[in-house]
Amino acid sequence: MTEQTSKQINDQKNKKILILAVRAGEIMMKSGAEIYRVEDTIERICKACNIPYVDVFATQTGGIFVSLDSGGDKSDMFTYIKRIKGSGDTDLTKISEINRFSREFTTTDLSVEEGMKRLKEIDHIKPMPFAIRLLGAALVASFFSLIFGGNILDFVCAFFIGGFSYLLSGFLSRYSINYFIRGLCCCAAAAFLALLASAVIPGADYSAIIIGTLMIFVPGVAITNSIRDFLSGDMLSGLARATEAFIIAISLAVGAGMVLTLWYSVGGVFI
Amino acid sequence: MIHLFLSFLYALMATLGFSIIFHVPLRHFPVVAFIGAAGWTIYQICTAYDMSVVMSCFLSSFAVGLFSDLASRFFKDAATIFIIPGILCLVPGSGIYNSMLQLVNGNLKGGALTCGQTLAMAGSIALGLLVVGAAIRIIVAITRKAVNIASKL
Repeated sequence: MTEQTSKQINDQKNKKILILAVRAGEIMMKSGAEIYRVEDTIERICKACNIPYVDVFATQTGGIFVSLDSGGDKSDMFTYIKRIKGSGDTDLTKISEINRFSREFTTTDLSVEEGMKRLKEIDHIKPMPFAIRLLGAALVASFFSLIFGGNILDFVCAFFIGGFSYLLSGFLSRYSINYFIRGLCCCAAAAFLALLASAVIPGADYSAIIIGTLMIFVPGVAITNSIRDFLSGDMLSGLARATEAFIIAISLAVGAGMVLTLWYSVGGVFI
Repeated sequence: MIHLFLSFLYALMATLGFSIIFHVPLRHFPVVAFIGAAGWTIYQICTAYDMSVVMSCFLSSFAVGLFSDLASRFFKDAATIFIIPGILCLVPGSGIYNSMLQLVNGNLKGGALTCGQTLAMAGSIALGLLVVGAAIRIIVAITRKAVNIASKL
């Protein structure tokens, strides 16, 4: 009878550890970490709780699969499959915090309950306020328009157009529009506004404004992560992210191209 | 010279913008902005010395990868935090735009040319990061082994 209860306690403990580890991995993956880091974090957390047999398999656009066994003849094997659809917004603060958490968890004897509490706090870290992110996007657009040969007029135009298209992107993602259409709409809006600005304001160059705004939506995260996944041998995730980057690039080009074609074929008749 | 300084400043501000969007931890803002700006300035210097854009992209992404790795070791934080905003300045947004513009104007040949160049630039950015990552792995492994042997003696 006592053996039975001790086994139950052990099972309960293993289950909690499993949930903690998968939760940490999930937050990391949604915030845009590489697969290698996700798998490594989960494995470290489990190993820190004295579980000798851990196997983790994670893929981008797939999910996290973890199975663990605390060893011995009587122990059961636990498996947790967490399906993760799509990726959330990139949030590097969360990655940094989880990184710190996993280091703390493995070196000090933090209990699983406390760890779960910490994880919840990390999960609830708010991104920057939307107004400040808007300012960030406007900065990106305006300074890139300067880099690509714009003048001070383009700088001002790109500042507002970049801010507007980021606002549009935020609005569309609230209604969970898929990323292809989102990129297309944002770039189309930016191109249209840029053409309008260059038609109304003499001396403004629409190319510089459009390129500046394009840079906000360029798939830099997908490219970087796909390389790092390839480097650590996660070919599946690497390919998935490379494809994502390619499709986003196409969506941007199509969005801006559509508007430019329409504008040329109408010939700016109305203005 | 003034041109280089200006492009450093522009890239600094643009990288700051990216850091805000991707929510880089506040304590890393200066370093991240510096890494991005340094990468872009190296790109500018390389093109000023008549290197091809592909080679310039390779060298500058190599530099960004190296700086990010050093920073991640110094601050004991994930390298991704420094690489993602740092590399964004190099991503060929103008290439995407220009190849699209050529295709829209019905210039298939020019479009294919620019598109190919853009792909090559993206590939060379990737290659730069890959080479840095691989080199650092080898160096770390060797130093670890050397330390092991030294401690045994």
